Amino acid sequence: MSKDSPQKALLIVALTAMICSTLVSAAVVMLRPVQMNNQLLERSRNIMQLTGLLPAGEVPDDEEMLALFKSLDTRVIEISSGRFEHEIDPHTFDKRRAVNDPELGLRIPPDLDVASMGRRSRYAPVYLVWNGDELDRLILPVRGSGMWSMLYGYIAVEDDLSTIAGMSFYEQNETPGLGDQITHEHWLEHWRGRRIFDDHWNVMFRVSEDTVAAGSEAVLYEVDALSGATVTANAVTNLMHYWFGPHGYGPFIETLREQPPTPAGAGS
Amino acid sequence: MSIQQTFSDPLIKENPVTLHVLGICSALAITNSVTSSLIMSVALTTVLVISNMAISLVRHHLPSSVRLIVQITIIASAVTVIDQFLKAYMPDAARTLSVYISLIVTNCIVLGRAEACAMKSGMGVSIMDALGNGLGYSLVLIFVSTIRELMGNGTLMGFRILPLAHEGGWFQENALFLLAPSAFFIIGVMVWGIRSWKPEQKEPADFKPLPMPSEENR
Amino acid sequence: MNAFFEVFLRAVFLENLALAFFLGMCTFLAVSKQVKTTLTLGIAVIVVETISVPLNNLIFNLLLRQGALDWAGLGQMDFSFLGLLSQIAVIAAMIQILEIVLHRFLPALYQSLGIYLPLLTVNCAILGASLFMVQRDYTFVESVAYGSGAGVGWALAIAALAGLREKMKYSDIPEGLEGLGISFITTGLISLAFMGVAGITF
Repeated sequence: MSKDSPQKALLIVALTAMICSTLVSAAVVMLRPVQMNNQLLERSRNIMQLTGLLPAGEVPDDEEMLALFKSLDTRVIEISSGRFEHEIDPHTFDKRRAVNDPELGLRIPPDLDVASMGRRSRYAPVYLVWNGDELDRLILPVRGSGMWSMLYGYIAVEDDLSTIAGMSFYEQNETPGLGDQITHEHWLEHWRGRRIFDDHWNVMFRVSEDTVAAGSEAVLYEVDALSGATVTANAVTNLMHYWFGPHGYGPFIETLREQPPTPAGAGS
Repeated sequence: MSIQQTFSDPLIKENPVTLHVLGICSALAITNSVTSSLIMSVALTTVLVISNMAISLVRHHLPSSVRLIVQITIIASAVTVIDQFLKAYMPDAARTLSVYISLIVTNCIVLGRAEACAMKSGMGVSIMDALGNGLGYSLVLIFVSTIRELMGNGTLMGFRILPLAHEGGWFQENALFLLAPSAFFIIGVMVWGIRSWKPEQKEPADFKPLPMPSEENR
Repeated sequence: MNAFFEVFLRAVFLENLALAFFLGMCTFLAVSKQVKTTLTLGIAVIVVETISVPLNNLIFNLLLRQGALDWAGLGQMDFSFLGLLSQIAVIAAMIQILEIVLHRFLPALYQSLGIYLPLLTVNCAILGASLFMVQRDYTFVESVAYGSGAGVGWALAIAALAGLREKMKYSDIPEGLEGLGISFITTGLISLAFMGVAGITF
């Protein structure tokens, strides 16, 4: 078989294809468990930070973190109706994949889509933190289109379902140094204690560039914007308005107000 | 040329980025942090070594009709494996570097060295060549990213070096350095520096301006 | 229709592959010094991208992603890790086919493209467009818009830069900076200018 014959070409191509695909597939199969574990660990860390259950000053190691996370009361809700959904396993539900799934996701009507997401999942995993029999905190996943990328975060609300206990953005790709400051603690700490809803349960929260007189009522609902990052800051306001509005978690919050949840998965 | 030269030439004399203008795509976008640059440099050097080794191994058997596609398949496989390793053991870095690791496949350095060196030389020379070029690329990346991270954040590899003004220090971060165009400026000035030091790297002028007529008549 | 134009215009101006993501720079900076050559190269890129991005989208959605092989009863298989290999193979094959077609039907164009066409196989911009398309999970129609938009944007950027380089030939640039150095700095300035259009919504 000479070097340039078609048979040789086919042989070489077949050999290359077989060897390369074996090596690549082997690597993927061997590494997949490690990758899945990392994803779980990361989600654990992101959420546990907001629960208030972590011992102060000490960072638990990976195993402890995972154990704490697994012991958290995780449930799935159907966003539109605001009810708990018992058929779906909260620990394996992949909300990102559900977005594009024709059954598990739905298209957001353009006039309601203030956060420019296009589609959303029908269901969402929510995390309830208990203090004895009383609800201490509720952690909800949120997301919205930023300037360059999709912003993903978790927000923790207190038992009154309006005061913010904490906020974090765990994935974003905004302008370095400007928009990406939304992940910095020195901005996020201002969120604590702010309120999302007013007394009539309208969404009042916003990231604002206006100066307001200290002590006026508006301060309760506002967090200062970031100079040089107007688009990103507006995106944050928009995502808050979507997710706490009637097409987001609004119905769920209403359900919880009318029928406070009970521990051990007994919610309606 | 000796094995020593094969390794040391690409560092400055024949640097793939500043002289041959190869591999700059990634050099610009990810150099805003030294850690990213280090990971990218290691990833590229590893792919270079693997691909040079594999191609040098089969060079006598590659028919010319499928040469390019076989080379690309080998390189793409190496890149996919490295990407998977990164996703498994350094997930934060993998997320920042995302597409740019996959773009190593089209990184001109890898294919360029495969054609220019691995197709014509034995294993030893190919590996040294890969290491040398990888190192040359890494030097440029680390240089650019050190400046960008220091001026843009006041940190190096995440460790604070310059105290920030809004935390009580004196350093006001320069956000321009965190944006990608700054990498262009830094590399431009770097090329200027290298060519002033080694004038033989300068491009020959396309044309020589004619002298002014009045000068000739004097 | 609106979504189509939005994705297209975003790809041309706001997320320009050459000026915002710096892809395809190698080919440009090392090779082209005239607007004419760059325009031919640009057209080649537009054609290759408009075909390769939707094609890669089809392959990814019908064969590779998790749940794609549902119709064969293999719904839980996730072959997305083969994405890179299949994308680059599709691009290389497409360029090869394009070469053959051009050689047969448009020999003049084939001649003027010369070496640039096979060189496109390793153009970061072409692979980059496919990678971004997967990352952003575009539908088929969106990927057509994105592929063509990305190609047009890249071609425009490259042509603009070539025009600037042509003009700069007559400038009095310091010796070490001539050629490569000043091209880098100019490109940096233009991309900085393009960041000003970010945040525009349609």
